[in-house]
Order: sequence, then C-alpha cells, then structure tokens
Amino acid sequence: MTMRKRSCRLFLGLLFFISAYAPWQGLVFGQTDEILLGIEPEHNIFDQVERYRYLAAYLSDQLGIKVNLTIMSRYGEVIKRFKSKRLDGAFLSSYTAAMGIKELNLEPVASPVNFGGESASQGYIFVRKDSGINSVNDMNGRRIVFVDPATMEGYLFPLAYLHVHGVTDINSFFNNRFYFSGSHASAVFAVLDGRADIGSVKDTVFEKLVRNDPSISRELSVIAKSQKAPEFTLCVSNQFHKDLKERLGAVLLQMDKTKEGKKALRQFEALRFIQSDKSNFDQVEKMAQEARSSIHEHGNN
Amino acid sequence: MKALMYFLFRFLLPVFLVCSFPMISLAEYRIGVIMSGDIPYYSAMHEAFVAGLNKSTPAGEKVEIILQRPFPDPISWSNAARKLIAFDVNLIVTYGSSATLAVINEKSRIPIVYAGVYAPDSLSLEGKNITGCGFKVPLSSLLRYLKRLKAINTLTIIFSGVEDDSVRQSTEVQVLAEQHGMPVKKIDIKSRADLVQLNTIKQDDAVFFTGSSLAHLWLKEIMPVIRQKKVPTADIFPDSSEEGVLMTLYQPPRDQGKKAAEMVLQILKGDQSKNIQPEIFRDTELVFNLIEAQEIGITFPIQLVIEATRVIK
Repeated sequence: MTMRKRSCRLFLGLLFFISAYAPWQGLVFGQTDEILLGIEPEHNIFDQVERYRYLAAYLSDQLGIKVNLTIMSRYGEVIKRFKSKRLDGAFLSSYTAAMGIKELNLEPVASPVNFGGESASQGYIFVRKDSGINSVNDMNGRRIVFVDPATMEGYLFPLAYLHVHGVTDINSFFNNRFYFSGSHASAVFAVLDGRADIGSVKDTVFEKLVRNDPSISRELSVIAKSQKAPEFTLCVSNQFHKDLKERLGAVLLQMDKTKEGKKALRQFEALRFIQSDKSNFDQVEKMAQEARSSIHEHGNN
Repeated sequence: MKALMYFLFRFLLPVFLVCSFPMISLAEYRIGVIMSGDIPYYSAMHEAFVAGLNKSTPAGEKVEIILQRPFPDPISWSNAARKLIAFDVNLIVTYGSSATLAVINEKSRIPIVYAGVYAPDSLSLEGKNITGCGFKVPLSSLLRYLKRLKAINTLTIIFSGVEDDSVRQSTEVQVLAEQHGMPVKKIDIKSRADLVQLNTIKQDDAVFFTGSSLAHLWLKEIMPVIRQKKVPTADIFPDSSEEGVLMTLYQPPRDQGKKAAEMVLQILKGDQSKNIQPEIFRDTELVFNLIEAQEIGITFPIQLVIEATRVIK
C-alpha cells in the first residue's frame, strides 16, 4: 500500500468518524446550527411576530446560532410538535406551560417582566356595569364568553371559580350559551358590545385596553380575580442540550445589563427576563384539578 | 242550618263559580297592535309576535289582530291609539316608545304590552295595566368601532325630535362621543324637508343613526347622499334592506316579538299585567358590510372583522 493510498483511507475513515460523531456532539455540546421556538398567537398576530422577531434576532446574535420562530395554533399543537421533536422550545402561557411541564416534562427557563414590572398575570371575570350581574347567582341563564380552552385566565379560572361556587354543569347553568372568542381582547369587546353578558380575560390585556380607551372601565366591572401565574414562560424540551439551555437562560437573564439587550427588550415590550421554576406552575395545576370535573362535563377533556 | 250554609259556601259555591265561566277561547280576543313606524325592525318584531301567538293558539282558533302602521308623528300615533280603543280591543301591543307613550296618553284601561322600547327602565313605564319588553344596545361600542376605522372629525347623529327613543339615544351618543373626544353635530329629521340637512355632512365625518322610524323610513333616500361623501355609517337597527350602512349593532327584533307574544298569552289567560315582570334584552348582533367599506374606500382591519357576528361580503 502506497503512502498516498494509506493517507486517503485514513482521511476517509476520519471523515466517516466525524460524520457519525457530529450529531451526538451537537446534542451534548449544543453546537446545533439553529433552534426553533414556538409562540402562541395573541390578538394581533402581526404585532406579536414583530415583537418576537427582535428577540429572536438578539438571541441568534448572542448564541451564535439561528433562532427561528413558529406560530402555533393552540395547546394540542404544542404537545404534538414537542412530541414529534419539531420544536426545541416555546413561549407558553401559564396553562399550556403547566400542562407541558406535567405531560412532557418541559423545562421552564425564563419569563419576561412587562413594562408594568409584572411577570405574572391573573384571570378576571367581568361584566357590563348595567348588566345587573354581581355574583354567580345572577349569571344563571346568561351568556358567557371564554377565550380558549388552553388558557388559564380565559377558561380554567372561570370554570374553577364557578365550580367553587357550586356550578358544576356549565351547559345547563348557561343554557348552552357559551362560546370561545379566540383572543382575550375579543372577549372584552364581546361583553362591551352585548354579544355576551359575562367574560373571562387575562388582566394584562384588559388593563392595556383600558389604558388605550378609558371609557371601557366606565362600562365594565371586574367581579372576580384569580391568583397570579407566570404570563409567558420560555420552556424547552427535556431533550434540549443542557449547555445550550444554560446559555439561553444566561443570555435572557443578562439582557437588561447590556445596551443591545435593553434595546431588544424594549422592542419586545419587556423590562427584563427572570428565572422560571417548575414550582411557579403548581397553582395552575391545582386550578386545573378544581375545574377538571367541569371540563369533563363540558367535553374538552 | 249552619252546617248547610257551611257546605254551600265551602263546596258548592266554588263549583258554581268554576262552571259558570266558560273555557276561555283565544279566538274571542281582539288584539290591537301599533308600530311606531312601518319599518323593517318593527315588522320583523311583529312577524315573530304573530308566529308566537299562533303557535300557542289551539288549532282552528285564531286571535284577531288589528294592526296599525301610522306615519311616525304624534298625531298619527294618537289617532291609531284612539282607533284601537274605539274598536274595544282586549289588549294593545305597541312597538317602540312613541306608540307606547301615545297609548298611555289616552288613559284607557286596556292592558298594554310593549316591545322594541329602548331602555324602558329609564322611561317609567310602570303601571297596573302595562308590561312588556325592551332592549338596550351599548351605543359606545359603535363609536369605538368607528374610531378604529378612521380618524373622525365630527360625528353626525341622525335622530328625530318627535320620537322619544331616538331623542334619548341621541343624547346618550352625544355624551359618549364627547367622552371619546368627538365633536357632535345633530340632524333632526321631522319631515322630508329636513333631509336637506344631510348636505352639511363632510367627508371627514361619521354618521350615527339612532333608532328613528322616520330616518329608517327614508333610509333609501338618505344613504345615497351619505355614500356619495364616502362617510362611514353606524346604526342600532339592522340594515335589513341592505341600503349600505357600514356597521350595525342591534338587538335581534324577533326575540322581543316572541316575548311580547308570551306576555300577551299570559294576560289573556288571566294574569295581571302588573304581575308580569318587564324584560330588557341586551344580547346583540354586530354586522359589518365589507362591500360598502370597499365602495367608500375603507379597509376593515382583520382584528375588527373577527369581532363581527356576521360580515356582508
């Protein structure tokens, strides 16, 4: 065997070894080319994509890998995509995050703090002031608008609240007059317009609408509030490489310390990110348990 | 003797009283109906009323209904009320507050069931012979949607000074518009000659239709003038004949017609009007006319379109 042939075989062998080793190496040391993060849709999807685009660009720059975004439809899709490994992580609302942690062992990384200094949100049950509704008793036979079955504030909380106040059969209590608005803002407008008598909504969306149009607070009144839970949390798959998870968390938590980070945060409409923990979602799971019987009767289990 | 008297009063008298009154037949009743105006909103209400009544009337029987569709002015409403009283109807059904107030003014003892009255709780319609149902539409919602469509210089409110519902709505809208920082201009339509005021509407304005019967009676003539100026319009009555109103937020009239029929049946079966709880319907439907929007060069943002109960396109 000539020297040249031997070198050639050695080179090919090395190439084979590298190609076989590379994926494993990427998994362990976090040297992937890109990651895909999901986001749950909000009322104005265009504004939302724009906000997340700035964050993705900053993360790409800091991590040295391309951070891609994908909009997901709802909870079912989140589960499906995490299971099919077509998602590395996602910014999830509290209920979706709680269920993802429970069912898929997702790992919470960080939550954004909004301009008001809050990282958590709560559910409101609200009515028109002239509706004559002051308590659960007054709600009997009226129309209620929920947001989406995958929301804590817009579905889980009102069900749990009604359950605690003795309402277990939503169908008969509301004479089957309930529907899902699809977004928190739409639930507010539905009650304002008289298309529903009672609504449930996330406080941050409600307060933002009131800030933009103070006349809303003259017409609506909040009659119940839930406990607070993290509004959005970046959760990653349990198969996500540990090193990259730590780097991702570190970049997010340090964002407010740098000029570029502050700029990206401003565009993302947040003050900073704070660390998130699985225990933050315990109360959401507790609420889910309270509402579970109603959900079963409701047919969304 | 005492025992005999006791037996007579305790047992025979009630039996006699029950037997002496024949079974009530609904066919023996004559009901008078007055619309505040001959407009689609009240016609739809009346259709539902008649359907509701017929549904509960025994087969082969029919309640006689005398329908009055006076021109929307005080003298005509009053004449219609007097006519029904002269007909000696058993009950009068009214649609809209103008007709209702006209019948009340006649001070007859005939029971009244009203429907289609705007915010009846603010009208003091209580009385031993009166009950009914009305509606409430959050007028502020229409202002909000108008504002989200385009910058509005002045809100023109079309109302009729002779119609109580319309006057109250115009006052309410004026207050709300001022809270939203919109200057207001009012056009009072009492006669056809008043339509000339429509020429004062400017391109940067928006137009708000109150539930005036006169305005809706002449909607076919009013809308072309407004459309020519490419001005967005909002109405609290449905645009049933699709004259081109851009957005409508209304309480479906059929619900009130059906409820009025239920109330009438209760009274005919012996219930006292004062014992029948008045009702206010608050459920609404929101309709956007996207064809009209295109005509006048307005683009509805998708966030707005998704709010609609129905979209015309």
